[in-house]
Amino acid sequence: MDKDTITLLQSKAREIRSHVLKMVYKAQSGHIGGSFSEADIIATLYYHILKLNPQKPKWDGRDRFVLSKGHACPALYAVLAMKGYYGLEELDTLRQYGSLLQGHPVIKTPGIDMTSGSLGVGFASAVGIALDEKIAKRDDYQVYTILGDGELNEGIVWEAAQTANKYRLNNLVAIVDRNKIQNDGRSDDIMPVEPIDKKFEAFGWKTLKIDGHNMEEIVSALETARNYQEGPVCIIAYTIKGKGVSFMEDDYYWHGKAPNQEQFEQAMKELQGGAA
Amino acid sequence: MKPIAAKIPTRRSFSDRLVEYGAQEKDFVVLEADVGHSTYTYLFGEKYPDRYFNLGIAEMGMFSTAAGIASGGRTVVASSYGVFITMRALEAIRSFICYPDLNVKILSSHGGLTAAIDGATHQATEDIANMSTLPNMKVLVPADTAAAAAALEIAMTTPGPVFTRLMRDPLFDIYDKGEKFVIGGSKTVRNGKDVTIACYGDMVFQALEAAEILLQEGIDAEIIDMYSIKPYDQKAILESTVRTGALVVVENHQKKNGLGYELAHLLLSNRKYVPFTSLGIADSFGESGDYYKLLNKFGLSSGHIAEAVRQLKV
Ligand SMILES: Cc1ncc(C[n+]2csc(CCOP(=O)(O)OP(=O)(O)O)c2C)c(N)n1
Repeated sequence: MDKDTITLLQSKAREIRSHVLKMVYKAQSGHIGGSFSEADIIATLYYHILKLNPQKPKWDGRDRFVLSKGHACPALYAVLAMKGYYGLEELDTLRQYGSLLQGHPVIKTPGIDMTSGSLGVGFASAVGIALDEKIAKRDDYQVYTILGDGELNEGIVWEAAQTANKYRLNNLVAIVDRNKIQNDGRSDDIMPVEPIDKKFEAFGWKTLKIDGHNMEEIVSALETARNYQEGPVCIIAYTIKGKGVSFMEDDYYWHGKAPNQEQFEQAMKELQGGAA
Repeated sequence: MKPIAAKIPTRRSFSDRLVEYGAQEKDFVVLEADVGHSTYTYLFGEKYPDRYFNLGIAEMGMFSTAAGIASGGRTVVASSYGVFITMRALEAIRSFICYPDLNVKILSSHGGLTAAIDGATHQATEDIANMSTLPNMKVLVPADTAAAAAALEIAMTTPGPVFTRLMRDPLFDIYDKGEKFVIGGSKTVRNGKDVTIACYGDMVFQALEAAEILLQEGIDAEIIDMYSIKPYDQKAILESTVRTGALVVVENHQKKNGLGYELAHLLLSNRKYVPFTSLGIADSFGESGDYYKLLNKFGLSSGHIAEAVRQLKV
């Protein structure tokens, strides 16, 4: 695999995390943990996989992306700004009155393909977007969506998974951010979800399991998924919630808390220290 | 009664009282849908791990499960955010909790625009309409810390399903600790002679502020806290409105099918043809932002209430 690509993606992921930290610190509200766990995947999608035109956000031939775990939108907002959908200065307005960047994604924000934030629904909407491509008898774009592992608790996820299988939606790729933590604690304690791979397989999906912080593995899985023609693909990405800042890693406290000044400075130091 | 800044949000006060109640009543259980650290039901879980069931992020399933547990006679307290409870789980609540009239007590956090920064997907602005419409359902909206603790008490002692709307952020305390509240009751928090303002939840404080503004202009407003939305205190509204000769209803909720619609209906059905207006969200969605900026935008600030009264009095 091309070394330069990997290095680029790693630096973009680092940049995303730094933006997320600043945004949530400034807003004193927002979800850092799940933004950090998905950051490497988001970087890879936006800098290597998705067919996009930031100058024309609604370009009809673009690949679609739905952040089903909508609360983790700071990472998405950051990458959209980095890609030029809007200015980086918008990031300072996260969750504030009149901002383009609402607490949860809304379709009116440039680059956002679907409103989300009520868990489970974004995934079913992504299935709908993929189904619509079939209805239109088109075959020129892919639909990607990221779900949380806690989100898999929602029954609607499995209803939508059935639909994707029934219509053999080979244009759909779902990535489960398996960070093993949800709002109230560890997923295994709140609601055991394993075996995720066997569940999706039983629902007719192809599955891949990867280390969600290993760029080579992310790139290779997303490329495999894009080229797979037989049906929908689910990539289970094993990640660490809060990845990139030692004291935030694997601690459910950082699901939805904002850092104070001292924590912010410490976290920024770590992110800029180079740990991807 | 002088409002003071609240130390805790009503969601916390309700859950604190729930924990105390757990010692007193030993049979009920609490169900949570993975927001227990936000609704504070986790406090109950820490004290009574055997009576606390976190069913994960699965609100529709949780309320259906609550119905099953309650069908055998056991009281269930079920908790989540208003948007998920009153919409995703609506059918379970209607057909399998309200229809069989089961003892399910609903802790519903993030009511109205008080989930301010989270944005429209997390702001329950249709919850009162959805819940008040259901036969057998009782609906409470405590305005402050003391009222929220009392609401828990009312919910647990009133037979059948009870929905309590709670707020995300700490706002203002109006009542003394231990103040008495009853199902179907109301509180006249300010006596006045020129206009009646009926309101609930966070709007009680805004109305009190509006009354101060109006007093400067020689308008003496009566304010009624309608903490029990269903059933509600018809007598208090009719008596006060007939006496003051005008009614303004204020709610952090869609205007449509909210308390304003209900009270207009009450007045008309009783042939009380008085000047009337209601303030609420005018058929639109909320958005992210500072709570006070949102109140301003959606016309629910004390200034807006005062202006509505002025318009009514000309
Ligand atoms: C339907 C619904 N219920 C509850 C919530 C509140 N909530 C926001 S994030 C979250 C936990 C999500 O956990 P997970 O899906 O694992 O996401 P991650 O850990 O990646 O942040 C919950 C319960 C919600 N947004 N939507």
